[in-house]
Amino acid sequence: MDVANGVTIAVILFGVGIFALIIRRDLVIKLLALGLIDSSSVLFLVSLNAQDNGIAPIVHGPGANYVDPLPQALVISAIVINFALLALALVFVMLLVERYHTTDSLRIAQQVEREKRS
Amino acid sequence: MKSTAIGILAILLVSAFCVLLLLTVDYHGARGGTDNPYLAAGASETGAVNLVSGIYLNYRLYDSLFELLIFSMAVLGVRFYLNAEKSTKPNVARVAESPVVRIAADLLFGPIMLIGVYLIVFGHLSPGGGFSGGAVGGTGLLLCAAALGAEVVARRFHEQIIEQIEWGILLLIILFAVAPIFFDRLPLTDLLPSGRVGKLLSGGTIPIYNGLIGIKVFIGTWVVIYSFIRHRGEI
Repeated sequence: MDVANGVTIAVILFGVGIFALIIRRDLVIKLLALGLIDSSSVLFLVSLNAQDNGIAPIVHGPGANYVDPLPQALVISAIVINFALLALALVFVMLLVERYHTTDSLRIAQQVEREKRS
Repeated sequence: MKSTAIGILAILLVSAFCVLLLLTVDYHGARGGTDNPYLAAGASETGAVNLVSGIYLNYRLYDSLFELLIFSMAVLGVRFYLNAEKSTKPNVARVAESPVVRIAADLLFGPIMLIGVYLIVFGHLSPGGGFSGGAVGGTGLLLCAAALGAEVVARRFHEQIIEQIEWGILLLIILFAVAPIFFDRLPLTDLLPSGRVGKLLSGGTIPIYNGLIGIKVFIGTWVVIYSFIRHRGEI
């Protein structure tokens, strides 16, 4: 088994995305990391069922080496839901930035604390 | 110092997690060839040559309906939260009109719409489908908005009516999914015969779902784009 295949790359990208999601305090970078995680899961699903001489599952007669269509059908859901999620999350980030004038999550938390006390 | 320690800890945890994921991957889960039930009987059962559409609009239509509901909720959320903040004034100057963009939009808008409609109509025969076709159409409108200004496009589009059309289409899709019950058939997909495989009028209900989803995604994409543009002031 070749180690440098799509699955390995997808898992590494997933790790980078999770790491950025934990460490970086910038909300926009957090959203980018979320997008990276989603793309990595798409790559994972598609490359998991990739075959050497496989062709796309659009059937034009028996016998050809079609790949499994199920992961590709799941990917459609993943893409649409990620689009919806990112659009909505971007709106919330925009509202937070307009109110607190920063994208730093720690500073936003501090300002919210201050507002609560006063 | 503290943040460095947290960083190293995070790197260790994430790498351990990734290694765990790599070790648990089962490379033999996905199957091609004739022993795969979808490949063996998918085309004849659903009537769709494109098996991916056959799966997500026939075998797994229930998933797709809820996926569409999530999309609608997100569009509603974007509209609601961006319109709630009416107080912010548009403070971005309009980008100077460029003849390049204008002519490019004139030339490209027709072909883009044509490709979108093609992807929707032939979704069960070739790569494409409602989601991708609708997104292509929405991108064409974005190009138009960049060339003419978003307000011009929105005026031609009658924003209030379009919202009602969007929710009406969602209702229509749900009605269409439960309609077979009234004809003593199984719900969701058992309304139309699957027809001759490979022809344009085949696939049973798949082309109709493709068309409805395509219009819905087209309108939804435009509503998201227009909400962002209006909130910012101009493109």
